Amino acid sequence: MSRPALIVLVIDDEVQIRRFLRAGFELEAFTVLEAATGNEGIRAATLKPVDLVIVDLELPDMDGAEIVERLRSWSKVPIIVLSVRSSEDEKVRLLELGADDYVVKPFGMAELLARARAALRRQVPGQRGDPVVRAGALTIDLAARTVSIDGRPVSLSPKEYRLLQVLAQHAGNVVTHLHLLREVWGNAHSDDAHYLRIFVRKLRQKIEKDPTQPRILTTELGVGYRLSVDGG
Amino acid sequence: MLEPARSEAGTARLAPIALSLLIVAAVTALLFVAGPLLDLDHAAFGYLIPVIIAATRWGVMPAIVSGLAGLAASAFFFYPPIYDIRVYNPAHIADLILFVVVAVVTGQLANRVREHVKAARQREEEMKALYFFSRRLAVASSPADIHAAIQDHVSTITGCRVALFAAGVGHSPPQASPQWPHMPDAIQLAIVDLLDGRSDGHEAPLLDRKTGASWLIRTLSQRNALVAIEAIELGRVSRQSIDAIRRRVDAALAEATATLERIDVAHALGEARVRSEAEMLREALIGSVSHELRTPLASILGSTSVLAQAPGVVQDARLASLVDVIRSETERLNNDIRNLLDASRISSAGVQAHLAWVEPPDIVNAALERMRRGLEAHRIDARLAEDLPLVRVDAVLVEQALSQIIDNAAKYSPPGTTIAIAARAVDATVEIAVSDQGPGLTAEEHPQVFERFYRGPRHRTAVKGSGLGLWIAHAFIVASGGQLQVASKGAGQGTTLTVSLPAPAPTHGNAPEYSDE
Repeated sequence: MSRPALIVLVIDDEVQIRRFLRAGFELEAFTVLEAATGNEGIRAATLKPVDLVIVDLELPDMDGAEIVERLRSWSKVPIIVLSVRSSEDEKVRLLELGADDYVVKPFGMAELLARARAALRRQVPGQRGDPVVRAGALTIDLAARTVSIDGRPVSLSPKEYRLLQVLAQHAGNVVTHLHLLREVWGNAHSDDAHYLRIFVRKLRQKIEKDPTQPRILTTELGVGYRLSVDGG
Repeated sequence: MLEPARSEAGTARLAPIALSLLIVAAVTALLFVAGPLLDLDHAAFGYLIPVIIAATRWGVMPAIVSGLAGLAASAFFFYPPIYDIRVYNPAHIADLILFVVVAVVTGQLANRVREHVKAARQREEEMKALYFFSRRLAVASSPADIHAAIQDHVSTITGCRVALFAAGVGHSPPQASPQWPHMPDAIQLAIVDLLDGRSDGHEAPLLDRKTGASWLIRTLSQRNALVAIEAIELGRVSRQSIDAIRRRVDAALAEATATLERIDVAHALGEARVRSEAEMLREALIGSVSHELRTPLASILGSTSVLAQAPGVVQDARLASLVDVIRSETERLNNDIRNLLDASRISSAGVQAHLAWVEPPDIVNAALERMRRGLEAHRIDARLAEDLPLVRVDAVLVEQALSQIIDNAAKYSPPGTTIAIAARAVDATVEIAVSDQGPGLTAEEHPQVFERFYRGPRHRTAVKGSGLGLWIAHAFIVASGGQLQVASKGAGQGTTLTVSLPAPAPTHGNAPEYSDE
């Protein structure tokens, strides 16, 4: 298990938050860079290639959306946003701008690490030469376009497969309603589409043990859906 | 602008006299036609009818006019020589004298009745105004409300336009008064002098030369403390009538002052001031508490989560349990702060709901997930009907409400008992019922559970809480277009809270995409 240390850039004006994030990431063998302002953070990201950016939504010099937008203009680095409660619209906006995921303050290190790992995994595709996504008993082979539960094949309609495929491509990270509608139906007009909910329900009936208590295709209320993969 | 008003007043005075004369003419015509048939000897008494009518309806002056007109008409038309105003027959002269006496007496009696009715009606109006005034004072939540109430009251009882300026430290200058944009400079100066204690008031009305309007400046004090200053616009009035008007206004003001004394305006003002200051302080406090407390809490919870993973802690059960204490207590603090914030959000800005289609089980699962740690001592029995219709609500608000309800059920029912969560479709709604096996509700507690800060007296000491939870839940669900109901068979028999959420039929305007291809 000797891989080069991944570099995480933490942009947050609260020194105590930076301290525990540093400790938490270093425990997981990350190398940590810190920045207290948005400008400092963007400069740090340009000076040295980083593998992951953690950015607070409320910075003194610029808002989270601006940082995400500026980073995204030249970099595909995974971005996890530290958000506050009751700002679902803001979360959706940041995700649409290119953030990979978010955690809501206060959060535990385990949750943040799970989101971060999922985003990192997607960023290095084929690292293990494996186009297969596993979530619980569910296996999705993106190359062969097959889906199975405990080795038994599951038959999905084309739209159902497409839905699952988009979620699997972001496995472990949240995907907004709008993104799913755009990817699956090519329709970005209604982020409140009734039919998306219906398709998720159908999909759950095929892939979940108890569709009323989904463990694989989980909901982020007011934001979107997530394919929950093991170990983050 | 004042001219038409004056001529209107003139018309108002002349109209009753003209009407009285008209009635006299009508009586004359009637007597003239009926006279030969009935052989009327004492026609003059027919004219008592217009006199009584005029006296009861319009007062003394029209009554006198009717009497005189009746006298002249009977002399002219009915007492020989006919068509001559002169009367020679002594019996007829006695008739006419008697008519005048009776007319004067009945006229006065009728007029007195009229005055009584008028006074009674005015008293009724005053009582109404007074009642209205004291009700406004009772609900006033700020000194400004009370001042507005006084201003309107004085304006009602004097019948003049009134501007009121509150006395006190940092009083606003008169020109700042929004309802009075064009107050003459001289009047403003006089008010400022009064407010600043440079003058003691003006007995005589002040005349504004530019508009020719007269103003009265009066102070309103209670217990030797100046409460306010009123500027009363009397309008353009003649020098002769101004004294009468001033006396009337002063009498009305004396009445108003007595009223204010009685209902203790000074006290009400103080109360209102304290209330509004307390409210502002509360909002400011909650606002800063939210930020100042939540930021360190995020650091504490985050650090704790790192500590819990640290090898030294993982290997030492005692340390691990301490870390767990920090975590759970911080989470509780965080929940309390969240409740305070939600409560202030509800009472200050109101709650804005973002409606969207949601799977009811998603809401239930999110609430259960959030409350997971608090539910470890209870059995959860979730029965969600398959194929529930989608609901159209603010999922985040409803989830928070449901979390509160589930948290409440867990707090008030003994460990080891079951909390049942059932969801079913009922007509065009989805009902989510949360039932516990806790202490239930007594008949007295029942109507109060959704009240802010209400805590059942039986559990106040045994269970920690702020009394905000169900109040917040109720507000969030109502904001989402749903309803929250509580039911209990009585003390010791558990409680069921039922959330009903709107599940309207979807509009398949987007039906093409609905197909699976």
